[in-house]
Amino acid sequence: MSRIAEKRLLHEKAKPDGMNQSNGKPRSIFAIAEGVNLLVRIGFLFLASASLFFTNARAATAVISNERSGDLIFMDESGDTLDVLALCNRPRGMVRKKSAGILYIACSDDNAVIEFDLDTKSTARVFTDIKGAMSLALDETGNRLIISNEGAAKATVLNTVSGEVVATLPTGPEPDGVAVTRNGSLIFVASENAGIVHVFDGKTYNPIHRIITHLRPRRMALRNDELWVSSEMGSRVEIFDVATFEKKDEIIFAPRGFRSEQLTPVDILFDLSGDVAFVALGSANNVVIVDAVKREVIKYILVGHRPWGLGLTPDGKRLFVLNGRSDDVTIIDLSTRRPIRTSRTGLVPHAVEIIE
Amino acid sequence: MFQVIAFISTLLLSSSVLASSLVITVVTEQSEDRQSEEKSFAGITVKQNRPVMRAVELALQEATTLFETLGIEAQLQELVLNSDKDLKDQLSRVSKPGPIILDLPLATMEQVARIADDLRIVAFNVRHSESSLRESLCLEHVFHTIPSDRMYFDALVQFLNFRGWRDVLLIHGASERDKARTQSLLASLKKFAANVVDQREFTLSHHPDDRDDNKPEFLTGGASYDVVAVIDSKKDYGRYLQYSTRRARPVVGDVGLTPASWHFALERYGAPQLNERYRDFKFGENQTMGPQVAMTDAEFAAWSAVKLISNSINSRQGGAEFNLKALLADPASQVDLYKGTRGSIRHWNHQLRQPVLLTTTDAVIAVAPMPKFLHPKHYVDTLGLDEPESQCQLHLK
Repeated sequence: MSRIAEKRLLHEKAKPDGMNQSNGKPRSIFAIAEGVNLLVRIGFLFLASASLFFTNARAATAVISNERSGDLIFMDESGDTLDVLALCNRPRGMVRKKSAGILYIACSDDNAVIEFDLDTKSTARVFTDIKGAMSLALDETGNRLIISNEGAAKATVLNTVSGEVVATLPTGPEPDGVAVTRNGSLIFVASENAGIVHVFDGKTYNPIHRIITHLRPRRMALRNDELWVSSEMGSRVEIFDVATFEKKDEIIFAPRGFRSEQLTPVDILFDLSGDVAFVALGSANNVVIVDAVKREVIKYILVGHRPWGLGLTPDGKRLFVLNGRSDDVTIIDLSTRRPIRTSRTGLVPHAVEIIE
Repeated sequence: MFQVIAFISTLLLSSSVLASSLVITVVTEQSEDRQSEEKSFAGITVKQNRPVMRAVELALQEATTLFETLGIEAQLQELVLNSDKDLKDQLSRVSKPGPIILDLPLATMEQVARIADDLRIVAFNVRHSESSLRESLCLEHVFHTIPSDRMYFDALVQFLNFRGWRDVLLIHGASERDKARTQSLLASLKKFAANVVDQREFTLSHHPDDRDDNKPEFLTGGASYDVVAVIDSKKDYGRYLQYSTRRARPVVGDVGLTPASWHFALERYGAPQLNERYRDFKFGENQTMGPQVAMTDAEFAAWSAVKLISNSINSRQGGAEFNLKALLADPASQVDLYKGTRGSIRHWNHQLRQPVLLTTTDAVIAVAPMPKFLHPKHYVDTLGLDEPESQCQLHLK
């Protein structure tokens, strides 16, 4: 908490000085304008708190892992920082075991995965010797964790109850995204360098198939019988059939003011209905809302620098977009599809999980 | 992993035939004293100049999974040229359509590139950044994966402009190479509206008469400038310019802030993984490399060449069979260069377009193109000779 709070304080302190310097206008007009501004703000505050009271909204908490500062930030739905916890070296991928109030967090530079207790906000267990742990996926039972090992050209399947490594899945270099089908029958691991999504049998762990993707496949998301894969250097999302592994479709993006080669999509997320997808466009500084059925772009929303990580509030009303290069999070109201606030995070925010 | 060609290949595939095999040949020269090329006046080797084979092998190893999946058979060979014998005879042993990677000194590289084009063998220039080569070697089968001097200098001058360092004092050497590169830098300075305060030449000499003229304090005196740009390909003189200028100003160019295509300290875009792989790569007797070693620009260019082929096969998604020449000439050919923006081939002069790093000994300060330098067609085409400026218009041939 302390470091973030200090920074904000410094920022606020600096403001009045700057205003005095630039203020060459008659003081009275300035004061009136300030007064009106204040009244309007009070009015909004009143309305906001009133609506909060009447809808009886439960506040959700966003948990953000920060790669460079090695901490977790807890943030409420409106973007206020609640808490900051020093955690480990280079925390990256996170996945939540809902039933147990547990968050699994990959600590890449510690070669470990942490089991984090959300109730006590403390580390409950540490799984060690997991080289370059990067992205995580949990199967339906919550007892099998799939972990990509960035530097090691493999993925690890871990039994979260016994803490034992169940299987090691060989992949091409630089594995990143991992996904597992709902019934746990198929495991997908994307190799960035090879341009391949490796498919493994979820029971025998045998390699079944290799899906050739466009350049630098990063993250994956499953929707019905479709596997969505973001191709960071191919500037597109490719959609594959989970049964046949054939390519069904692709979505190419083109937000205003950016060249194709600046579009570097990473995280993909579906809304609660599954019919709307969100894709973070990396260097193009936009997040895109896609009609997943029609495969059409609904809207591009300008956010901070290099958005990668995405998170949805449990009620599906707000989207959290992590901006890895500007060290902040843009919160988007999905009813109006507009950003409502940008809040400071730690250094290089990577992943976000939002809990009730 | 690789073998030296010692036989005459009977494979005579014409370059238009679709192939599912890839024979990469690295062409080197016998008895070439690599280091002597880069030795300075003082006899010190300032620039690393390793053979590019290690980088080629690494790129091939990275492509193993893809080639395996598609059923593409890849082979790596080395062809050591004997300068006493006919070059064309020796090159005709290479199976078509190549590719060959030219790890050769300038004069031999030019000859071999022309012969390769005659023989319809795809050839990569990975070592020579001379801007003039992009015009003179305007050949259908020749590709340049090392940036041109113009690309390097455009990147540097964009950075100067970005920082607001407009007044430039230009110091350069007297060699032909230095003079040609000075012309390239001047063209870049003009392109981005920098102001050349003065242009001064240093001489390398132990003669007492020259001593005073060549003192850095004197050579950089009597002028007002924001930055000193130095062109000194062998870093004979330039090495001593930093911290010795008359005014307290940064030094850029061949020393100080230097444009480069690769660096050990690039922290983003997956670069640490590539650097780690390169260092840990088991290659011949040199098992691994030290922590601050990375690919030289020539090695990176050789790695890029192989990567360009494997990535283009990837993004084309057409299975195992490909026509190498068509694959590379296709405007959709592209390569993931671990620099944030993918690279591709400029169809007018076959130069690989790519971002350029602005580096110091220990850090990457910026990655050009710098913000707000925009191009109507391609993000990185503000670096280097653009289509309308180039004398080479291969796509119109």
